[in-house]
Amino acid sequence: MSLKIRRVALTNFRKFREPLVIEGLGDGLNILIEPNEAGKSTLLEGLRAGFFVRHATRSQLAQSFMPHGESVAPEIEVGFDIKNESWTLSKRFMKGARLEVQGPGFRAQGDDAEAKLQSLLGFARDTSQKGDPNTSGALGLLWVAQADALHVTPPGNLVRDSVTATLEAEVGTIMGGPAFDRVRSRVDAEYASYWTPTGRPASKLAEAQAKEQALHAAMSEAAARLAGLEQNYTALENAQGRMKTLMRELADPSDAETRRALASSLDIGRAAAQILATRKAEQVTAHTKLLGLEELSTRHIAANAAVEAGRQALTAAQAARVDSAGELTLSRTRAEEARGSLAIARAQRLQAREALSLGEKHEAGRKRRIAADAARIRGAQLLRLEGDYSEAKSLSQTLIPAEIMTALEVGDRAIAEARAAIDAGATELELTGAADGLEIDGKVFMPGTRRITQETQITLPGGAVLTVRPPAGPASAAAKLLQATDRQNAILTRFGVEDLGSARARNETAREAAAQMRVLRAQIDGVAVAVPEINLVAGPEALKLFIANLPEALDTEDQDDGPALESLKRALEDVEAAVARAEGVQESAIASLRQLEERDALLAASEAGGSRDLANAEANFKELQSRPELADLTSLLTAAREAHAVASVRLSEAEVAATAHDQGAITRKIEAIDARARAAAERHTELLQEIARLGATIETEGGKGLADRAQAAKEEAEAATLACQRMTDEAETIKLLRQTLEEARAETAQAFVGPVAKRAKRYIDRILPNADLAFGEDLALQAIARSGVSEQTGQLSRGTQEQLAMLTRLAFADMLLEQGNPVSLILDDPLVYSDDGRLEAMTDLLLEASERMQVILLTCRDRAFRHLPGKRVLISHGNGS
Amino acid sequence: MRFIHTADWQLGKPFGRFQPEVRVALADARLDVVDTIGRLAVSSGTKHVLVAGDVFDSDGPEDRVLVQALSRMARHTCQWWLLPGNHDAARTGGLWDRIRSKGVHNVRVLTEPTAIEMEPGVWLLPAPLQLRHQLEDPTVAFDRMETPGARLRIGLGHGSIRDFSMRGETRNQIAADRARQSKLDYLALGDWHGVLQIDGRTWYAGTPEADGFQRNDPGQVLLVELDPQREPVVTPHRTGKFQWLQREWRLQDDADFLARWQALQREVDPSSTLLQLTLTGIVGLADRVSIIGRLESEARHILRYLDLRADDLSGQPTDEDLAALHVEGMLGVAADKLKAKIAVGGVQAALAKRALERLYVEAQRGRDGI
Repeated sequence: MSLKIRRVALTNFRKFREPLVIEGLGDGLNILIEPNEAGKSTLLEGLRAGFFVRHATRSQLAQSFMPHGESVAPEIEVGFDIKNESWTLSKRFMKGARLEVQGPGFRAQGDDAEAKLQSLLGFARDTSQKGDPNTSGALGLLWVAQADALHVTPPGNLVRDSVTATLEAEVGTIMGGPAFDRVRSRVDAEYASYWTPTGRPASKLAEAQAKEQALHAAMSEAAARLAGLEQNYTALENAQGRMKTLMRELADPSDAETRRALASSLDIGRAAAQILATRKAEQVTAHTKLLGLEELSTRHIAANAAVEAGRQALTAAQAARVDSAGELTLSRTRAEEARGSLAIARAQRLQAREALSLGEKHEAGRKRRIAADAARIRGAQLLRLEGDYSEAKSLSQTLIPAEIMTALEVGDRAIAEARAAIDAGATELELTGAADGLEIDGKVFMPGTRRITQETQITLPGGAVLTVRPPAGPASAAAKLLQATDRQNAILTRFGVEDLGSARARNETAREAAAQMRVLRAQIDGVAVAVPEINLVAGPEALKLFIANLPEALDTEDQDDGPALESLKRALEDVEAAVARAEGVQESAIASLRQLEERDALLAASEAGGSRDLANAEANFKELQSRPELADLTSLLTAAREAHAVASVRLSEAEVAATAHDQGAITRKIEAIDARARAAAERHTELLQEIARLGATIETEGGKGLADRAQAAKEEAEAATLACQRMTDEAETIKLLRQTLEEARAETAQAFVGPVAKRAKRYIDRILPNADLAFGEDLALQAIARSGVSEQTGQLSRGTQEQLAMLTRLAFADMLLEQGNPVSLILDDPLVYSDDGRLEAMTDLLLEASERMQVILLTCRDRAFRHLPGKRVLISHGNGS
Repeated sequence: MRFIHTADWQLGKPFGRFQPEVRVALADARLDVVDTIGRLAVSSGTKHVLVAGDVFDSDGPEDRVLVQALSRMARHTCQWWLLPGNHDAARTGGLWDRIRSKGVHNVRVLTEPTAIEMEPGVWLLPAPLQLRHQLEDPTVAFDRMETPGARLRIGLGHGSIRDFSMRGETRNQIAADRARQSKLDYLALGDWHGVLQIDGRTWYAGTPEADGFQRNDPGQVLLVELDPQREPVVTPHRTGKFQWLQREWRLQDDADFLARWQALQREVDPSSTLLQLTLTGIVGLADRVSIIGRLESEARHILRYLDLRADDLSGQPTDEDLAALHVEGMLGVAADKLKAKIAVGGVQAALAKRALERLYVEAQRGRDGI
């Protein structure tokens, strides 16, 4: 079924306030060639608005139809044929929005008219703000605006449904269908009640799981409480059992009997302890006595031995003392001798020292004399040098200052120059031959050459006077010379020199004298040196003063040299050595003597000690000897030993008896029995309390039906688990069903791809022969493969993409046409990126298509399309028909 | 001498897995049965009611349960003899002290293994359980009991005569020939929840009000007449309110199910029936959907309680079912996929089975609905 647009008129639409009309559109190919901005795209937009945009909407899209900045109502009128029946629509947007549709035997307005349009043209109501191309159905796909033409896009739902409906018979299955959609939507709804979109448990299922968990928690709690009660029961039974045992223990008489027996043995123990104490005292007495006697015996023997030993020791000490006295005497003699030798040596040393001192004095005097002599000679030299110095000084003072010398030289040069000038400017008179009578300036003019510099009168023999006037120059030069000579002479006179040469010679002499002065000063300093031996300091004045005070003749005694200083020194050294040796000998003697004296002192002390010890030992022995026991000591000792042995035996017997009846042990046993009784009594009280407490708790808790509650909680939890399991099964079932439905859908959709590709290939072969086409489940051309190389459509060149977009549209248009959909192809400025070859192929295809459907081509490219046969239409501005 | 022999009242049983309203009804029924027994005692001229253990479901019932039980017993003129069983063992300071402290004149608590003369010459020998599980036979104590001048000796015990393997009880075992050994005229036993005769003088009375899905004839008490000269005469009396039915139906198709369900409804009083229904067999997918739908939307509301186990009822899609789905194209593809998963088996197969069923239900619903 073909749709044929016959007329479109737009008023107040976009920028066109005035009506924009095309009319007289033919059945097949219509070509509208207009320059840019003429309103071609607006026409297509208006056509879409007329059909697809609801008249009553105030959506952004509808508002965009109004001319910018004006509040006028856009209006659209369209005349079109469907199934060879003519229809018109007239739509107005915004202010006073309305729609009227008229056809054969039909006239409707408003929403009814919208509904009629939708059913006529197979599109759906668009509720979006910006216009949803999906709702426009086949025409949305086939009325291609400029911007939409460049990309290969999937057809919308409506087109897909139509296409799949076309292909159902061919494919042998149906795609979707109301039953599927119904099932699918119900399953989806149910799925949503069990699962979140990401596949996690949702509302119902989550609730069931939460309930199960809560009930399990409640079950655990109830069980715990019941267990608590059970514990109390057990505790009570235990307590009662312990109580029984305790009562049995309390009733047991054996402890009391044991205690009585222990009490009586405690009495026996006390008696035994007393006896033991007595025996211990007796034994100690016997032992003490025995010890006393034994000690006496020992001391007696020891005292005797001590007396003997003392005697021997004293004898030995005395003998040693005698030996020591001999040695001591000898040593003292030696010490005395050493002291004598030392005194002699020291006297000798004193003499030697005095001799040396005298020798040194002589030496010093001699040295002073030599120094004084030397000074005297240097004094004479000094006087000489000072004379020379004074002379040189007066010479040096004749130096003519440098500026004077310069003046002299300048003057000399000036004189010379003046003379030269005179010579240069003079007039030379040469007289040869006899010149008698010739006078010059009153004087005889002698033959020869003469120079004149000033007016000269030559009196010729005739009395004539010849005045020769040389030029003025030499005359002034002569004056200069005179002046220079005067000044020069004045200076020379002042300094007493004849000429410059002698001035120079004098200055030379003066400079030499100044140099001579420096040499002389150094020599003077060298002569007037300091000589400490004779208290002479440096300087010419000191030297002159020293010589002035020097007596004419020096002390002659000191002239003798006396003994040689070296021999005196050697003599002193020898004597010093002798003294040292004597001192060593004396020290040794004294040390030896001291040693002997110390030893002797020790020996004396030993001797004294020995005699004192002996005296003590003898006194001790004597005292012991006087003791009465000593008379019968042996028999007394024997008796004491026997008595001690008897006492010891009796003591050990008493100890055995006391141990057998140990009071401590018996007391401890009695205490243990008492403690046990006390503990049992306490335990009894405790158990009574515990039993009472547990009994009360059980009475309280027992009436709460904890076991029933625990059981109930358990059963509820189990029921919840079952319910949750059932729900999980249900949820899983729904999940699987949903997944399976989706798989079925995808699979089926895939089945439609083949036939679509087959149809599209017919067209695409025209520009891309032998390309394999890969269509997606959404029937979008996703990729083409040429020579085994697959390319995503998005990656293809822009021109190819545009061509493929148009070709797939043509294929869909054919399929839609098969389905009986109203189909019309409008292309706004198509194929802008096509090369000539492709453009031709494409226009051929358009021509072919225009045999099956109306094709409206809007273009600004006259040249590209002008060769096409087809009806030319123009945009007219005005109301037209 | 006549008395009523009953046991296993298990008052206070929580029935935690049931919905609250069912739970309350079941709990109330257990208390009501005390009145039923009391009335029977009076109407049959019986002075004594012997309860052979498990009077309460636990040894720490709530006070409300305890007071309810005692006040109901107090209403009737008979003497109630209560024996501690494994559920309500006679522990120190426990339940039985609480009962004694309530001081109900016609309730006697038998917590000690000591013979009591119920009537002149009629001695009751009780074997109370002191612990939940006793390894030794509690009725051994009968042999040590003095019954001077006994005309009749009645033993009262709680435990298993033999290994009731169903319940896994192996403790509290009672010698099978206890009555003969201990020269008892009658041994009244509790623990087995149905009426069960062991020998001429040894009986289990079972619970007077059923408390689970069991096949051992519960919900009765025994009226016992004793004469030293002859064997006891034991007459069961129905006392239970609720019927706990277990049914397993192997189904052919929906019609088969419908017939059985209608038959069951005629057979029982649905409002006092708790049904544990296990369905097996292989039916068409549509049939299965219909069967389950009917049970869920009808039976579950008619019956007091329905415990439905339909996992073993396989719904195989028939060719018709599948054809119906295939008309829908993609639904058919989905169904094929699920069938393939079922054919593979394993964990996913069960899930796929359910999913297929669900798919069918949803597709069907759409078809019927629109």
